Amino acid sequence: MKATRVFQLTALALVVVAAVQVGWWLYDQHAYTVEKVLAARGAYREQTAAAQALLDAGVSPQRVGQLLPAIVVRDGRAALAPQVEQTLTSEERHRYNQYAWEGSFFLLALALCIAVIARALRAETRVREEQESFLALVSHQFKTPLASLQLSLETLALRTPPPQTARTLIERMLADLARMELMVTQILESARLERGRVELRPEAVPLAAAVARVLAPLEERARQERIVLSSDIAAALCVQSDPLALDMVLRNVLENALAAVQAAGGGRIEVQARAANGEVQLSVRDTGVGFAPADGARLFTRFTRLHGSGGGHYGTGLGLFIVRRMMELAHGRVSAHSDGVGQGARVELAWPEASAASAALQGSTT
Amino acid sequence: MSPPGAPHVLVVEDDPHLAAGVMENLRAEGYQVSTAADGAQALGWLSGHACELIVLDVMLPGMDGFSVCRALREQGNTTPVLFLTARGDPADRVRGLEAGGDDYLAKPFHLQEFLLRVRAIVRRWDWYRSASATAATAVLRFGGNEVDFRAFRARAWNGEAQELTEKEAMILKVLAEHAGEIVSREDLLERVWGYDVFPSTRTVDNFILRLRKRFEQDPANPRHFLTVWGVGYRFLGEGEP
Repeated sequence: MKATRVFQLTALALVVVAAVQVGWWLYDQHAYTVEKVLAARGAYREQTAAAQALLDAGVSPQRVGQLLPAIVVRDGRAALAPQVEQTLTSEERHRYNQYAWEGSFFLLALALCIAVIARALRAETRVREEQESFLALVSHQFKTPLASLQLSLETLALRTPPPQTARTLIERMLADLARMELMVTQILESARLERGRVELRPEAVPLAAAVARVLAPLEERARQERIVLSSDIAAALCVQSDPLALDMVLRNVLENALAAVQAAGGGRIEVQARAANGEVQLSVRDTGVGFAPADGARLFTRFTRLHGSGGGHYGTGLGLFIVRRMMELAHGRVSAHSDGVGQGARVELAWPEASAASAALQGSTT
Repeated sequence: MSPPGAPHVLVVEDDPHLAAGVMENLRAEGYQVSTAADGAQALGWLSGHACELIVLDVMLPGMDGFSVCRALREQGNTTPVLFLTARGDPADRVRGLEAGGDDYLAKPFHLQEFLLRVRAIVRRWDWYRSASATAATAVLRFGGNEVDFRAFRARAWNGEAQELTEKEAMILKVLAEHAGEIVSREDLLERVWGYDVFPSTRTVDNFILRLRKRFEQDPANPRHFLTVWGVGYRFLGEGEP
């Protein structure tokens, strides 16, 4: 990596030096031509003056023409022969054209090289910075559950807590471990998504059944946290999506809604869907903690956690990033809206619509 | 249950497990503990309550810990702050101290080290407050300067009003308690910072320079804050003849 960078920087320096040399060569050649042309014109002016002196001394024009072939005599006055003047001018122009074309070509080629190398260097720097920032963020995300785990263990080691407290500490540690495990899974998943190594196999999937599958395991937790879950989706609505990707998207969005409502001390989550303009639109509304309207887009970037985990929410900051990338790969859309902190939130998802008939066909063939 | 009059600690941490763990351990050590899940909540609590120490997480949702600490200092709140952070690099540590923090602990931390640091900060703060408790010890007068240790304010010899930082006041307090005696840089570090928060004793030198600028008529030729080469400093209330 370092050797490549040194090589790139050396190449860039060489190309820049070459460009400067070509520029200098152009300037030098131009100055040389100007000097030569001036010298030639000076010599011809001297010949013309000599011819005139001969004519004034009574030498015949024929004799002057023999002695100085570049000079013509018209009406007793000596002048440079038109063909000589023309040759001189044309030679001058030829030289200038040659330098202009050759110089431009070389300079253009070198400028292109500089642009290509500089672009590669910039891209490499950006990738390195992204990697470093990703690593810093990942390590930061891990340190909090690690600190909590270490604190619980050291509390057990330092004190002799009663069984009930010990159980609480053990449950806390198990939750910290589960959180780290989820983070590892999500980090690997997001890395695969970033590298484009996820191959989706879209097919017609009934949305109501997919939502019901995700909601079922969440119902017990919702009941405990005083959260009312409701889903109103027509059984015939089908989306064109990879079933596993759809499951992951729904799970992340619904888990997020659950955490937001849990942080608000309970409330409602409503899931609704409708078909419109060739797509199926799903809306997940919650009465949770919400967020500032301007933060809607930021939610889908990596490691963004807008509100704290005051309600026991252990977000990794990767869930909605995965949702966005999955939806992009599925040719769908996702957006999040809220009227402000404490005002609840709404996540809108849209997939290409698939016909129920093709879903039934797929169901019968599997 | 913490005994009445026990030191009060505010824990500002958005991770509920960590907040609960810290709270339980501090309570077990006899402290009264309150918690806040973000910066706004902490500032709200502090506007109506006082405490002996704030344990402040750096990466908080919304307003980060450094901003919370800066906001407190701007309001004139001098309560000691112990930063807890997932970043442990020196640059971040310096940022925390520049923001007005007193100590800095990187996550994950050892429980006993954490408790030791909390105890040391509270003890230093206790010493400072008890040493400034009476009318006689609350105000220091020297060379036309007047320092109010309780209000962290001073009036310099030229009549200029001065706002002292907590560390400046503490250094001045230590020196004034040992007026005429030599106090080593290490002693000052131990009494005022208590830990290896700063990398070198140069920090003490910088604070002494600041005190000279504030209170000496000619900081280049000090009469009150004298350097004892290779050892430390000597404070003379009456000034060197």
